[in-house]
This record gives sequence, structure tokens and C-alpha cells, in this order.
Amino acid sequence: MSDAAGAPPPLVATDGVSKAYAGAPAPALAPLSIAVAPGEIVALAGPSGSGKTTLLNLLAGIIQPDAGQVAIAGRPLSQLRSGRELSELVGLIHQQYDLVPHLPVIHNVLAGRLGQWGLLRSVASLVWPQERQTALAVLAQMGIADKINERTSHLSGGEQQRVAIARLMVQSPRLILADEPVASLDPARADEMLSLLTALASASGKTLIVSLHSPHLIRQYCTRVIGLNRGRLEFDVPTSAATADLLDRLYDLEQLPPEVIV
Amino acid sequence: MRFLQSSRLLTVLLAAAGAWSLTAIDWNGPWLHTGGAASFLRFLLALFPPDLSADFLLIALTASGQTLAYAVAGMTVAILIGVPLGIIASGVAFTPGSRLRRPSVAATRFLLGGMRAVHELVWAVLFVAAIGLSPLAAIFALGLPYAGILGRIYADLLQDVPPEPIAALRTTGASPLRLFSYGYWPMALPDLIGYTFYRLECAIRAAAIMSFVGIPGLGYQIQLSLHDLLFDQVWTLLLFLVAIIVAVDLWSSRIRRSLLS
Repeated sequence: MSDAAGAPPPLVATDGVSKAYAGAPAPALAPLSIAVAPGEIVALAGPSGSGKTTLLNLLAGIIQPDAGQVAIAGRPLSQLRSGRELSELVGLIHQQYDLVPHLPVIHNVLAGRLGQWGLLRSVASLVWPQERQTALAVLAQMGIADKINERTSHLSGGEQQRVAIARLMVQSPRLILADEPVASLDPARADEMLSLLTALASASGKTLIVSLHSPHLIRQYCTRVIGLNRGRLEFDVPTSAATADLLDRLYDLEQLPPEVIV
Repeated sequence: MRFLQSSRLLTVLLAAAGAWSLTAIDWNGPWLHTGGAASFLRFLLALFPPDLSADFLLIALTASGQTLAYAVAGMTVAILIGVPLGIIASGVAFTPGSRLRRPSVAATRFLLGGMRAVHELVWAVLFVAAIGLSPLAAIFALGLPYAGILGRIYADLLQDVPPEPIAALRTTGASPLRLFSYGYWPMALPDLIGYTFYRLECAIRAAAIMSFVGIPGLGYQIQLSLHDLLFDQVWTLLLFLVAIIVAVDLWSSRIRRSLLS
């Protein structure tokens, strides 16, 4: 789509970002430049240690690059005032959902508003939930409206996953980052998770970048796939061009330096 | 060098100190003083039966109530002081990189350390000297060192909550105080309450001892009965003390269970 006339400016662009961790033999991410247009659903593929999580954390502003720059909606990430502005642009969902298990579901969902609410309102909400209708609406969309007052730790794994998506919907960032959201799920639940996430993204015109291993899921749900290996870009193609051979080669153990194979 | 860094050095030092302390014992003299065994036996036998007369049970019951009241009042003071100081000392409610953080954490940790470095009986002596033999003296004597203990443990428990949900909350744009109320506080709460109950048990024991500086309660009654060598009464009072502790223990495990489930 980027070669179409009058291509939209990218929602997220990295300009030669790199990152190395102290003590690591090789950089986690070699200088990398990618651009993602609004509305794209991009898969990040690559073996463990290829730099997928590092890239996602850089895009989320959780870690800072050693060199290069990340820009979201045309603004350098380093110039955004952390907190409110960042939360309107970027949201992150993890494999473990990372909810607060002790709180009732409604507060985990409304936590998506913490960047917008003032302190008094946030604290008052723990006693008298604010915007209860908002929470109820997204939970109904997720099919778990009846769980709104339950303790989050009482929910099944699949239900907690829906709560995490509901929190993301309430936060409503323009860019959704998902770090291996299906890594520990059985095939049916992985399918469900991705269809919820991608439906949410396309329904509201959001952009989604998701790290995934399964070629089948990549082809079914994503429009574009970026292959990373040892922190370097291996390929960046529309999913229609991502052959099984291309994806398999990414995971070929022969490619790895001997010290990585234990 | 590794030897110095490891905890083995501490083990060796402690073992050496233990061995050295044995030299303080007079190995040739008798272990018990004359008549010691007989009076100890008399004390043990007084358990069968303890004094269960209605008059004395009423005294024991009243004394138990008084001890419990002092313990609860002292713990209330301790919680009111310990919670805010503990939150500051944990450092979790500060903006990352805030210049206030380090000095505030260091100052509150120092304050908490000072409060608990002095034993409650020493605080009691100080307060009795300052405000006389009043219930207030006992309550503050109990409250201050316990606030020091609670604040320190609260701070540690708050720092120990799992980091992943906190990181996730941070990406929603939550400020430190919002992170605290939605993340740190609810996740630490069951442990905070559990530890507070454990300290309440200790406070009951301490409140009983406090009686020795003149406030009414189980300790005062034990002192009176010991003076008159009425060991059966001492046993009754000790059994009441045990009963209160067990009751608090049952109550706290019940509350903890309802918080965790």
C-alpha cells in the first residue's frame, strides 16, 4: 500500500534505532528503519532473541534506543511528555495480560483511563466506579459483561485475556503493540485472541503490531510481516508474499551462531 | 576473596561467638540454685488445676480486656504512623527520577529505624517520666516502636509486589500516585493486613508486659500473684493470654483467607 499515490504518512516510523544490553555479546537490535502506515496489521516474526520484544518496548517508550529515533504520528517519542500523551498514542498488551489480580474486573478495565483521569477521580473510582457504562460496554463487546464486579483472579485465563483487551479498548491508543499475545495459548484460544485483537483494530481504524511465530496465524490475520533475526531485518513483505519457505528459513537453527544453540 | 563475600563468613563468626559464650558458664558449680528445682516443680504442679474460682476468673477476664484494649490502642497509633511513613519509605509513590525521592526515603527509613531501635519498655520509662503513669504513656510507648516495625515491613512489602502489572499500568499513562492506588496498594494489601495481625499478637504480649510499669492488665495481675506465690493464679492468667493470642490468630487467618480468595 505504501507505493500507492499519496501514501498516508506513517503512524510509526523508526529511523536507524539500535539497542544493546550491557554484557550481551551482540546488540539486541542493529540499526533498524521501518515505517508502518495507519490501519496496518503487522506481524513481527523471528526466533527467540531476534529483537522482537526489544523493538516493541522501544516503540512503547518503555526503553530508550542507544541511537536513532522512534516517531509516532510524526512526533519523536523522546519529545512526548510521558504518561497522558504517550498513552493516547501507544498501548501494549503482554502474553501474561499483566492485570492486577486483587482488583475487581471493572477497575482493571477502567485502569485504561488512568492517563486521562485526575488523581482524585482515579482514587474515587476505586470506591464509586466512574464511567461504569464505558466499562460495561466494552466488557459486553468481549462477552463478559456479567463478570464486571468479580475479582480478576477468579476469572479463567481466557476471560482475563478479554479483560486485558477491554482495558486496551478503554485506553484506545492509536497504535496497539502485542508482545507474543498467544505464546502460551492452545490453538483455539490463540485464534480467538487474534480475531478479537484484529477485529478491534480494524473496527476502530487502529494500527496493530503483533509478534507471532505461527505462519498460519500470520497469514490469516496480518497484512504484512516483518522478519527479524539476531536484531537485523531479514525481510519486510506483504503476507501474500510470505511463503512458507521464507518463514521457515527465519527459524532455521543453522543460521544461528554456535554459542546460541545450547 | 570469595570467602569474605559469601554469607559463610557470617556463619563462622556467629558459630565462633556461640562457642566463646560457653566460656561464660561456670561448669563446676551447680546449674540450679539451692531449692530452685523444688520451686520450679511447685510452679509446674500449680497448673493442676489453675485457679478457676469465679472471683478470680472475673479478675482475669477484666485484666484480659484491659491488656487487649492497650494493645489495640497502641496498634492504632502504630498503624496511623506506620502507613504513611511506610509508603514514603518504600519510594514507590515518587515520580521516577524525582529529586525528592532519595532524601525522603533515606530520612523516613532513618526515622523508622530510630523508632524501633528503642524497646517499648524503654519508651515506657521515657513516657512515664515525661507524662506520668497514665494510659497515654503506655499507648505511645507501644505505638512508637511498633510504628517503626510496621513502617519498615510495609515499605518492604510494597517494594516486593510483582513488577509486570505495574509496568502494564504505567503504559496506560498512570502517574505514580495512580500506580500506587491501582497497583502497589491492592497487590500488597493481603500481606500488609496479615503482617499487621501478626504484630497485633506481639502487641498483646507487649501490652501484658507493659503492666510492669504500672498500667492495669494481665501483667499487673501476674505480678501480684507471683508476689504472693499463688502459682495457680499465675497459670490462669497465662492461659487467658494464650487464649487471646490464639483467638487473634484464628481471626487474622480468616480475614486473610477472605482477602486472598
